[in-house]
Amino acid sequence: MSEHILHLTVNGEAQHVLVEGRKTLADMLRDDLRLTGTHLGCEHGVCGACTVLVDGAAVRSCLMFAVQAHGSQVTTIEGIADADGGLSAVQSAFRECHGLQCGFCTPGFIVSIESFLDAHPDPSDEDIREGISGNLCRCTGYQGIIKAVRLAAETRAATPQDMSAPDDAVSDARVGA
Amino acid sequence: MKPAPFDYLAPTSLADAVEALGSYGADAKVLAGGQSLVPVMAMRMSRFDHLIDLNRIPELDFVRHEAADVVIGAMTRESRVGSDPTIAENVPLLTDATQYIGHFQIRNRGTLGGSLAHADPAAEYPAVAMALDATMHLVGPDGSRSVSPEEFFLGPMTCCAEDEELLHSVSFPVWGPGSGFSVQEFARRAGDFATAGVAVGIRVADGVVDKAAIAFFGMASAPVRARELEIELVGQKAMDLDFQEVGNQAVAHLQPPDDIHASSSLRRQIGAQLASRALSTAVKEAT
Amino acid sequence: MTAVAGRYVGQSVKRREDARLVTGHGRFVEDVAWPGTLHVAFLRSPIARGRIVNLDVSAALAVPGVHSVLTAADLNEHAREWWQNMIGKDAPMPPKRLLAEHDVRFVGEAIAMVLATSRYVAEDGVELIDVDFEAETPVLVERAGFEGVAADDANLVHPEWGSNVAQALPGPMGPGMPLDNPALEAVLASAAHVVTETFTQHRYLCVPMESQGINVRWDRHRERLEIVSATQSPHEVRSCAARLIGINDSQVHVVADDVGGGFGQKMFPATEELAVIMAAYRLGAALRWIEDRNENLIAGGHARNEDLTMTVATDESGKILGVRAHHREDIGAFPAYAVGSSASSVGMYLPGPYGFGEYFFSSEAVFTNTCGRVAYRGPWMMESVAREQMMDVTALAIGMDPLEFRRRNVVTPDQLPFTTSTGLVYETVTPQATLEQAAEMVGYDAFRAEQAEARTHGRLLGIGLSSYIEPSVGFGIMGAEQVDLRIDYDGSVVATTGSGSHGQSVETTLSQVIAETLGVDIDKVVFTQGDTAVAPFGSGTGGSRTAAVYGGAAREASVLLRNKVLAIAAEVLEASSDDLDMDLGVVAVRGNPGATISLADVAAVAYAGYTILPESIEPGLDVSFRIRAPMFMFSNATHAAVVEVDPVTGAVKVLRYLVSEDCGNMINPMVVEGQIAGGVVQGIGGVFYENFVYDADGNPLTTTFLDYLLPTAAEVPTIEYGHIVTPSPTPGGFKPIGEGGAINSPAALINAVRDALTPFGARVVSQPLGPQQIVDLIKGPASSAESI
Ligand SMILES: Cc1cc2nc3c(=O)[nH]c(=O)nc-3n(C[C@H](O)[C@H](O)[C@H](O)COP(=O)(O)OP(=O)(O)OC[C@H]3O[C@@H](n4cnc5c(N)ncnc54)[C@H](O)[C@@H]3O)c2cc1C
Ligand code: FES
Ligand code: FES
Repeated sequence: MSEHILHLTVNGEAQHVLVEGRKTLADMLRDDLRLTGTHLGCEHGVCGACTVLVDGAAVRSCLMFAVQAHGSQVTTIEGIADADGGLSAVQSAFRECHGLQCGFCTPGFIVSIESFLDAHPDPSDEDIREGISGNLCRCTGYQGIIKAVRLAAETRAATPQDMSAPDDAVSDARVGA
Repeated sequence: MKPAPFDYLAPTSLADAVEALGSYGADAKVLAGGQSLVPVMAMRMSRFDHLIDLNRIPELDFVRHEAADVVIGAMTRESRVGSDPTIAENVPLLTDATQYIGHFQIRNRGTLGGSLAHADPAAEYPAVAMALDATMHLVGPDGSRSVSPEEFFLGPMTCCAEDEELLHSVSFPVWGPGSGFSVQEFARRAGDFATAGVAVGIRVADGVVDKAAIAFFGMASAPVRARELEIELVGQKAMDLDFQEVGNQAVAHLQPPDDIHASSSLRRQIGAQLASRALSTAVKEAT
Repeated sequence: MTAVAGRYVGQSVKRREDARLVTGHGRFVEDVAWPGTLHVAFLRSPIARGRIVNLDVSAALAVPGVHSVLTAADLNEHAREWWQNMIGKDAPMPPKRLLAEHDVRFVGEAIAMVLATSRYVAEDGVELIDVDFEAETPVLVERAGFEGVAADDANLVHPEWGSNVAQALPGPMGPGMPLDNPALEAVLASAAHVVTETFTQHRYLCVPMESQGINVRWDRHRERLEIVSATQSPHEVRSCAARLIGINDSQVHVVADDVGGGFGQKMFPATEELAVIMAAYRLGAALRWIEDRNENLIAGGHARNEDLTMTVATDESGKILGVRAHHREDIGAFPAYAVGSSASSVGMYLPGPYGFGEYFFSSEAVFTNTCGRVAYRGPWMMESVAREQMMDVTALAIGMDPLEFRRRNVVTPDQLPFTTSTGLVYETVTPQATLEQAAEMVGYDAFRAEQAEARTHGRLLGIGLSSYIEPSVGFGIMGAEQVDLRIDYDGSVVATTGSGSHGQSVETTLSQVIAETLGVDIDKVVFTQGDTAVAPFGSGTGGSRTAAVYGGAAREASVLLRNKVLAIAAEVLEASSDDLDMDLGVVAVRGNPGATISLADVAAVAYAGYTILPESIEPGLDVSFRIRAPMFMFSNATHAAVVEVDPVTGAVKVLRYLVSEDCGNMINPMVVEGQIAGGVVQGIGGVFYENFVYDADGNPLTTTFLDYLLPTAAEVPTIEYGHIVTPSPTPGGFKPIGEGGAINSPAALINAVRDALTPFGARVVSQPLGPQQIVDLIKGPASSAESI
C-alpha cells in the first residue's frame, strides 16, 4: 500500500497532500482539501456529480486516483465563480432558469457545462441534450437545466470570456513512494 | 465503494513500464484512462498488488501517418481520436465511432488502448479495429509482437495480452479514395454501451464494390465480422444493392447474447436494420 | 377565494437556496466532518434466504484502522421501541432487527458493521469477515408467483409472522371496511358492458442523487445525541432515535441541512441508520455511514411492484356504473414502515376524477425475500396507473375514443361538492377543465388525422391521456404543522418550521408567503428548517403538503404577527390599526404619507418601549401558529403524451408531453413547474428505462447505474404546461402538487404506447416498456416474454 506526496494546483492555489495510492481524486478533494462541492452520486463513473476540470478537461473525479493529478491544475465547482464571488454565466443561468432543486447534481452539471460551452459556444438543442447526457439529475426533469445552458450560451456570447487556456503541461515531476 | 489497497507506480518511460510489468507479472495491472478499470476496482471486483499507471508515458500518446497506415499510440485519449484531423482524414471510421463512446467526460480520460484491451464486446473501437483489419502491437519484457484483431480479442473482457505485456499501439490501414464508412448503433440511452452496433467500410471502384468490411459489436462475445457476406458483396454493383436484404443476410449467422435489456432475436433484428443503414450510408459516401 | 398575484406570492421568485448550491457551498450530510469520526461499512447478505452458520470477525478486527466490528449480538437486544411518528405505534409491525440474526432474509440485508478510520479501511474489514450460510429456498414472486408465495406455509419470510401474507383487505386490517358490496354484484350482472383487465407495474426506485447517510455522536457527559442526517423529516429521526435507545426526544438534536433529494426514501430513518445510532450510543463514539450507490440500489428500499385487476361496468352510453378492484403488492422482507402497504390509499383514491357508482376494493400484500418497500413519490399511485389505463381499455372495448369516454365520466363543476364512491368530498377540483385544456393543447382531434397519415407510412404514433386527483392528507402529525415567526429587535423576520426540504424550494416559497402576508422585503426573512433544536415539532417534507399545510400555517402566523405589528404601530402613530398598511417593512397611515414607522422601530417598542403600550398588548413580537389542516386536500391535473414507437428497435420516443393542472394559487409558478417536470421524468424513467430485476434465486441483477437506467436529458422531451387556478378554501388557497408528476405520467405514457400499437391489437398492460417488451407486444402474445 503506497503513500504519495502530491503537489498540484486547485482552484489556483498550490496544494501539497499526502495520500494513499488508492484514494480517488474526489475523496482527496473532499476529505483532504475540504472542497465538498464535488459530490459523489455513484462512484462508478455514471452520474457525473463528481465532475471537475483537470488541466482544463472535464473528467469524473471518482475515476481518477488523487496521485494521478500530481502536477495538474484542478478546478472544482468552488473555483468556478470569480474571486469576489461573482457567479459565472452558467451559475447565474441555473438560478435564473430553475436548473436545480436539491442541488446535489448541480456542481457536476455546472463544471461539465462550462467545459461543454467552451467547445460548443452556440449549441443546438440536440447538442445540449447530448452534451449534458453524461450527468444525471433526479429532481428537475432536466427542463430548467436545458434552458440554463441555452441562456448561458447567450450570455457568454454577449460578454466575451477570458479564454486563457490553463497550463496543459503535465509536469514531469516524479510520482512515487 | 472504495478500491482495495495497492501499490501505485507511475513509470515515465515505456522501458520502465515494461520492466515493472516484467517483474510483477500477474500481480500487476496497468491503468490507462481508468474509465473501465476504476469502477471495477471500486466495486472490488478486481484485485492486484501493483497498479502501473501509463498516463505519464508520452511515448504511448501519438498519432502518426506511416506509409499505408495510421498508427495510434495506446494511450491516445478517445477525445483526441475523435478530433484528430489525420485520423478524420484517413481513418474516418474511428472518428465516427468515437461520438458513440460514453460522454465527453469519459472520452477525456478513456484511451484507445484501454478500450481495445478491455475488450468489451459492446464497445465501438474493437469493432472498428476488426472491420479495418488493424494490427495491434504488443510489447513485453521478451520484445514486441503484432497480432490481428482476431488473435487479439479472445472473448468478453479478454484480450491476448499476457500478464507481462501491454498494448503499445495500433496500425489502422488507410483505405484510400472511393471508400465510405459508417458506424451505426442502438443503445438504451445516450452514451450507453451498444445494445447492438455495426461498423462498416465499403470501397467502390467504377461503380463496383471492391472491398467490404462489416463488423458487429454487442452481437457476440467479441466483435464479429460478416465475412461470407463481405465476399459476396465484392464485385457487385453498388447501385444495385438491396440494403435491407443485405442487412438481413449480415446477421443471419449470428447468435447474439440474451440479457435483461434485449433478447438474442431482438439484437438480431436491430442488427439487421443497423447494418442496412450503415451499408447504405457507406455506399453513398463511397460513390 | 380568488387567484392572487402579489409582490411575491404568484411570482417566479428566484430561489434563495441557489447561491450556495451553484457555488459548491451546500452542506450535505457527507460534507460534515466531525473530528474523530469512525466510518461505517456493512457486511451484507449475498443470498436471499438462509441460516447464518458461521460468523467470524477476527480477521477484520486485525486490520489496522479497524476500531470494532459489531454484529446482531452487540446491538439487537438494546433496541427498545421501533415505530414512526407518522404511522403511530399501533400499526401492525412485521419483525424488525438492526442487524441480521441467525438468518438472512434478502440479498443486501446488513449482517455486521465495521467501524474504521476511513470508509476505505472499513470496506477492507468487511472483506475479511468470515461468514457461511446454509441457503434456503427463497420466497419470491419471481419464482413461485404471487399466489404461490401467499399460500406457501413451509417457507416463510418471517416465521414470527406465521404467514407470507402481510395484509389483506377487506379484513381485520381495515376497520369498518365492508366485506362485500351486493349492490355492485347486481350492477355487474346487469350492465350493458363489463370489462376486466389486470395492470402490472414493476419494481422501480426513488434513487435520489444523494444516497442516504447519517453522522451520529453521543456526548455521554451532556447526555445528548447529536445527529446530522440526510432526511426529509428531522423530527421523525429524532423520535425514532430516542425511542430506539430509550432516551427523551429532547436529548436528541437532529439537523438536516441540504438534502439531495428523497422522494420518500428519506421519510423515515433506514434500518442501517438506526443501527449506526445505536452503535454510536453504545460506544459513545462519533460515527458516520454514507450509503454508497450499490447499497442504495440493493437495500435502500424498493417501490411500486404491484398489480391491480379492475372490472368496470358501464351503461350503453359509456357511463360507469360500478367498479370492482383487487390489488396485490410484493412488499419485500422489511418494508420501511408498518407493513409498507399502500393498499388502503390505493383503494380510497382509485375513483380519482370520475364517478364510479358502486364500488368494491380488496387487496393482498405479501412478504418476499427481496428488499422491502419504501414510499416513493405518490406511494399509492397504482390507483392512477391502473385506473387511467382502464379508462382506455374500457373505451376501446366498448368502441369509444378514450377522450370521449373520459368526458362522459369526469366530475363536472355542477356536481361539486362531489362525494366519491369511497366517501371523499371534492369541493374545488376542476378535472373537466384540465381534461379539456390538455386535449386542446395537445390538439387531440388533429392528432388523430396525423396518426392515421403516419400509419400509412409505417410510423407508429400514439397519444395518451391520464387524469387524476392528487390528495394530500391532513391527519395525524401530517395535518398539524407549525410555523414560528418573530421579528427581531432590528426588524428582521425569523421563521422556523419542522419542514425538511430536499429540493422543494421551501426556503423560498414559505419566505414568499411570509413576506407577502406580513408586508416585508423577502430579503428580511430568515428561514430556518431542518433543525430540531430550534424548529417546532413537525412531520417534515413529504406527502405534497408543504404549500397547503406549512404554507397555510405560514400565512396564518404572518397574519397574527402583522396584526400585532399594526396594533403597536397604531399606538405609536395614534391611529386606528384599521387605517394602517404595512409594505416592505414600513407601516404607514393610509392617506397620511407623513405618518410612518419602520418595523425596527415597532420592534424597539415591542421589546424595550412596551410601557407605552396598553396592558392588552403583550411585549415582544413573536407568534406561533399550528394549523389544523382539513383531512384531505385535493388538486387535479391531466397529462397528455404523444409518442412514437420504433417497430424494429422497440424504442419509444416521447415527442410531446404536456400537463394541465390546477394546484390552486401558485406560490411560485417556476417551482410548481419544476416539481411537475421532475415527477414526469421519473415516470418516463419508470415506464421506459428503470427496472430493478431479481433472478429466480433472489439475486439482484441491476445493482449499478450501468444497469439500473435513469433517464438522461437526451431521453426527455420539453414539457409544456397549462395552468388552471382554482384556489382551495384553505389559508392562501394553495393545493398539493409535489407528487402528481410522478403519479400521473406513467399511465399517460403507457396509454400513448397502447394507442401507437393499436394496429397490432397489442395488450399493453404491464411495465416496463423497454425495447424488448415493445417488440414482444408487436409480435403478439405467442412470443411475448412473461412479465415479472
Ligand atoms: C459511463 C461510462 C460510459 C461508457 N460508455 C462507453 C461506450 O459507450 N463505449 C465504449 O466503448 N466504452 C464506454 N465506456 C468505457 C470507456 O470507453 C473506457 O475508457 C474504455 O473502455 C477503457 O479505456 P480506459 O483507457 O479507460 O482503460 P482502463 O479503464 O484504464 O483499462 C481497462 C482495462 O484495459 C487494461 N489496459 C488498459 N490499457 C492497456 C494497455 N495499453 N495494454 C494492456 N492492457 C491495458 C487495463 O489493465 C484494464 O484491465 C464507458 C465508460 C463509462 C464510465
Ligand atoms: S460519482 Fe463520479 S460519476 Fe458518479
Ligand atoms: S437537482 Fe436534485 S439531483 Fe439534480
